[in-house]
Amino acid sequence: MNTNRRDFLTLTGLTSLSLALPRSLRANTTPPHVLVIGGGFGGATVAKYLKLWGGNIDVTLIDRDASHYACILSNLVVTGAIPISRIQLGYGNLKTKRGVNIVQGEALSVDPASKEVTVKIGNDFFAYAFDKLVLSPGIDFINPAGNYNSDLTPHAWKAGPQTLLLKNQLAAMAKKQTFVMTIPKSPYRCPPGPYERACSVADYLKRKKSGAKIIVLDANASIQAEPINFGNAFTKTYKDVLTYIPNAAVSEVDSSTKTIVTSQGTFKGAVLNVIPNQRAGQIVANAGLVNDPTGKWALVNPLNYASTLYPDIHILGDSQGTGQPKSGHMANSQAKVCADAIIRGFSGEAPDPSPVTSSACFSPITSKTASWLTASFQYDPVTKAMKRVEPSFAEAPRPTSDGMEQMFHWADNIFADSFS
Amino acid sequence: MQTSSPPSHPTTLLRAANPRTLLALSAACAYHTLPAAPPPGQLLSSQCFQCHGTNGQPVSGFEGIGGENANEMHKELLEMSLRKPEGIMDLQIRAYTPAQLRLIANYLSTLPKTGETNDD
Ligand SMILES: Cc1cc2nc3c(=O)[nH]c(=O)nc-3n(C[C@H](O)[C@H](O)[C@H](O)COP(=O)(O)OP(=O)(O)OC[C@H]3O[C@@H](n4cnc5c(N)ncnc54)[C@H](O)[C@@H]3O)c2cc1C
Repeated sequence: MNTNRRDFLTLTGLTSLSLALPRSLRANTTPPHVLVIGGGFGGATVAKYLKLWGGNIDVTLIDRDASHYACILSNLVVTGAIPISRIQLGYGNLKTKRGVNIVQGEALSVDPASKEVTVKIGNDFFAYAFDKLVLSPGIDFINPAGNYNSDLTPHAWKAGPQTLLLKNQLAAMAKKQTFVMTIPKSPYRCPPGPYERACSVADYLKRKKSGAKIIVLDANASIQAEPINFGNAFTKTYKDVLTYIPNAAVSEVDSSTKTIVTSQGTFKGAVLNVIPNQRAGQIVANAGLVNDPTGKWALVNPLNYASTLYPDIHILGDSQGTGQPKSGHMANSQAKVCADAIIRGFSGEAPDPSPVTSSACFSPITSKTASWLTASFQYDPVTKAMKRVEPSFAEAPRPTSDGMEQMFHWADNIFADSFS
Repeated sequence: MQTSSPPSHPTTLLRAANPRTLLALSAACAYHTLPAAPPPGQLLSSQCFQCHGTNGQPVSGFEGIGGENANEMHKELLEMSLRKPEGIMDLQIRAYTPAQLRLIANYLSTLPKTGETNDD
């Protein structure tokens, strides 16, 4: 790898040279180039809004996959309520309607000094130069110890093939069998998500697999989001099928026997849905940008989402460490703040000093009802952090069929606002 | 990581990897302006678009919010921020200061009304 990388950099020496010119010398010849890694909720939104608001900016969006599968609504794919095509989001509109350059490839490393990203496309390596880089790669996992293999015990916490794998395993369960799932230690992607999954699976088992049970092993001390709605669901709606066990830290997983060892005992299931603990997407670590006290996330300035280490590299969505919830709605929200600040930066202006961001999650509780959770954040100039505005923070009073209907409308609109 | 030899033709590499560099080399005399600074209220208003659609033009369900009278919109937003919360809208609106709600109402009023044009 080292030799390859060195040869490769020599080959691209020309690229580095021309970009080494100060912006003032290049500004009147070419538009600035923003490179975005990760075409999920943060990356797609920032690419779109840079083009929508920015005028003459070159924007390139790189994702390893040809299209993105949204995690939003994916628990309904697991239970077979909706087809996977409902959550498949392509890049065609960003390309044709917005003029974003779309590239399918895997970003491997970032060189902050020469301002280049190494991207693997097929079997070849390419250097992509940038004026500004935005990383929105979502999460990666901290795999549990033992003989763990997500092809046997799926997480389904990145949507796509993993979602279908879990769906098929659930469908193949016999009556009276047990579904075992884990909830990662906070913070993780989508605070209500695992509890939502527990409810969706419990509802499915009740309807389709009589006598089957679900065991929910939570690494945390208590329900991490919507304690009232999920608490009611666990202790009332699903009391005959669901067992909730808090403080269950995972020590070992054997995926071949579907056995899990936790601080609350050893469990075995017909299906074992391990959702491992989480950290920033690997490319953020490769770029040397993981610098929060827990060693998992990237610290950023919430006025523009620039890394606290490199002002021209921005990190959005699940990977950043501002403490705002890791949700798609929030990634979209941050992406707009970032796009606006990058555009202002190109015209020599400071970022908006008082941005507001929001998060919203809808959770199916039964096959007919859904609840929701929402919170909004204002910039606090004293702490230089985003601060939750308490009166904006609440869970739905109860799950309703109206909530379910709103959930689908919201999904349609956030999918379109991010991807087209 | 799988090792693989780097592309053998740097020119091809450059063309594929960095269209911008080619532009810089071939159009060295071209003139172009930097992006203009965004109008006030644009960023704040865009936080409505996750539900109400890009530029206030929803694709499903929720109300269109572009091109309404600014004073009426402002009044409505203030009312929602003060009444007993009925849903997500009434909660999210509580995050904004009165001055921010004014900026939002003003900016949204400059957008096309729903169905009149698209957001291109
Ligand atoms: C079951 C479930 C339910 C959820 N429900 C909700 C909900 O109701 N509301 C809500 O707001 N959020 C919800 N979420 C959370 C939401 O999906 C995430 O928070 C959101 O997707 C984060 O956006 P992101 O841009 O950080 O990452 P992602 O959207 O995951 O995008 C990351 C992209 O980067 C690409 N990528 C990563 N690394 C590289 C690389 N090195 N090179 C090239 N490409 C790369 C990936 O392929 C991917 O497409 C849910 C999540 C789950 C799991």
